[in-house]
Amino acid sequence: MMEKKLLGSTLSDVAISDIDLRPGPFSMSFGFDLEPLKASIGRFGVLNSPYLLKGPDRKFIVVAGYRRLLAARELGWPDTACQIVPDTFPPFEALLLNLNDNLTHRQLNTIEKAMVLKRLTRCLKWEEIIKDFMSILGIPANRQTLEVFLGLEELEETIRVSLAAERLSLRVAGLMTGIGRDDRLRINDLFTTIKWSFNQQWEAAQMLIEIASREGRSIKELIDEKEIMEVLGNDGMNNPQKVKSVVKILKARRLPSLLEAEKLFKRGLARVSLPLGVRIIPPAFFEGIDYKLEIVFRKGQELREKLAVLSHLSGLEMVTDFWRGMEPR
Amino acid sequence: MRQFKISRILIERGAENDSLAKRILRRLPNIPVENVEPHKRAPGEDIEGMDKMSLRIIHFRGEFLKPCPGTRRYMCCGYQILNVGINCPMECSYCFLQSYINQPSLRVFGNLEDKLNVIGEIIDSSPDRIFRIGTGEFTDSLSLDYLTGWSDFLLPFFSHRKNCILELKTKTSSIKPLIESRYRKGIIIAWSLNTPRIIAKEERRTASLRSRVLAARQCQEAGFVLGFHFDPLIHYPGWEEDYEEIVQLLERYIDPEPIIWISLGSLRYMPDLKWTIKGRFSGTDIFDGEFVRGLDGKFRYFKPIRVEMYAKLSERLKKWYDDLGVYLCMESDDIWGQSLGWSPGNSANLATYLDGRVRKLVGH
Repeated sequence: MMEKKLLGSTLSDVAISDIDLRPGPFSMSFGFDLEPLKASIGRFGVLNSPYLLKGPDRKFIVVAGYRRLLAARELGWPDTACQIVPDTFPPFEALLLNLNDNLTHRQLNTIEKAMVLKRLTRCLKWEEIIKDFMSILGIPANRQTLEVFLGLEELEETIRVSLAAERLSLRVAGLMTGIGRDDRLRINDLFTTIKWSFNQQWEAAQMLIEIASREGRSIKELIDEKEIMEVLGNDGMNNPQKVKSVVKILKARRLPSLLEAEKLFKRGLARVSLPLGVRIIPPAFFEGIDYKLEIVFRKGQELREKLAVLSHLSGLEMVTDFWRGMEPR
Repeated sequence: MRQFKISRILIERGAENDSLAKRILRRLPNIPVENVEPHKRAPGEDIEGMDKMSLRIIHFRGEFLKPCPGTRRYMCCGYQILNVGINCPMECSYCFLQSYINQPSLRVFGNLEDKLNVIGEIIDSSPDRIFRIGTGEFTDSLSLDYLTGWSDFLLPFFSHRKNCILELKTKTSSIKPLIESRYRKGIIIAWSLNTPRIIAKEERRTASLRSRVLAARQCQEAGFVLGFHFDPLIHYPGWEEDYEEIVQLLERYIDPEPIIWISLGSLRYMPDLKWTIKGRFSGTDIFDGEFVRGLDGKFRYFKPIRVEMYAKLSERLKKWYDDLGVYLCMESDDIWGQSLGWSPGNSANLATYLDGRVRKLVGH
């Protein structure tokens, strides 16, 4: 047997059946595809030995190399060479060993990062984790973000799979920890059955939560309403069109007065026959008082012609806050 | 008078000999005291809960008198903030300090009294200018008065000056030290008012609406000039009836003539604050209204909603008395015109208008 100086581990052949292959206290693997690793190990063997620690029930606990051992088991190997760390090996060191092993090989997904942070909370204060570990994991080092990550473990498996596969926004998942199970599963379903950008997910999730609060209904009920279901089931629409339509439906419910003002503005402007390629843009949310004029042209001559038309256009002087005086809804 | 529970006193290095520190230690003889380093978080100072049972005494090295930061692209009134401390023992869900300051514990500045001469020099160096000064921007002016004794030295200091007023803004009914003092001139006692529903749901540990109005009446009877602040106005089904209830209470108990001003301001918040609030007050529904991003980046109610609230409330106040000095806090010229039927046009004119109220009601 060879002895490693730094860790004090010893290399030994260990029967796979003697290893506890449930995700243990040090493993940080989630949502992975084992097939490429199985193919590699099947052809070249285990290139880096897994690390094990003797557990209290005499079975070995995986310190590092969880996926390699799973692959070996699936390949039907009876045993494999492993590094056994001493029984006195501190759990925090085992956790760091696993983390370093993983970080040198691959990118951790969101759930795996959450697993790391959760395990670190058993050994360290939040301040230490924020200061020493969050930036190593490539995430903003602050308390709020740490809270979001620590909350992910409470989420259902399907939601965690969506997060790991980057089909669901982390910010939305952060919101999900504050709502009921059925509601968050329905949101996950909505955001993963058709493709949304993370910004669109964030916008829609906020609107769903706030509409539900405002109308005293569940989020699930809102999503399952006929209007949204018809959009989702409309075969004549592509994904971006569906997303846009759902956002529009939610916006009309969340900001009815703003939508009414937009309608009034469009209606008012429709009475003015603006030349092609000319647009009047109202202030954002009608909050300011300055309007903008946009003229699209290719040559100066075209610009001059459009300006001439505009200067004589009747009704232009009537352009105003068409929405003013409306009753809020 | 309501006394809030203080479980420990944190004295920052450098504040041990400040007069306010000595006074607090005398008034809280049996509370554990810990010496802490400036700018360092003390053990157990929890940022999430804001640690409102720890009283931290700070030897403040910044400027005690500063202009109100106001906000970009909206009109501001030219108010001056007297920095007496940060945070208060009450728990208003919408409080901007949760993200603006982001520091836990009740923080009071131990050397305030020792630095009054500096403040005096600033005020006296501009005798033609009126300084409208308040302590209620970063804390409640009266909630910790029973410990700090702010009113014991601030009232005589400001009352003797001819070109300034001191506004003490509160959500408490803790007026005993004021009533017992013999200083009135130049002192404005102002209450932040909201509907019973908002007070019950969103302004925890504050005095009820009725207690506030009754305390205001007592102050008025004792000779103080009053101010009121309907801020933040919160829009919800039934808001109109509920705000009507406030005006009716005022009508019943307050003489409108010597009111110096009544401000109206609607709920506004920086984007990040929303999630901080939702995290700390999960049951809040203050964000259910229609908010859009304003010109300064803060979220505000969509314009027609603000106009409707300001117009209806100011109209109702006008019915009570037509010279209440109603003004809008952090609003645009456009909103002023649509809601109140007039506008000062810019911040300088708004300041002039409010200075005029001081001359008229206080006599400076």
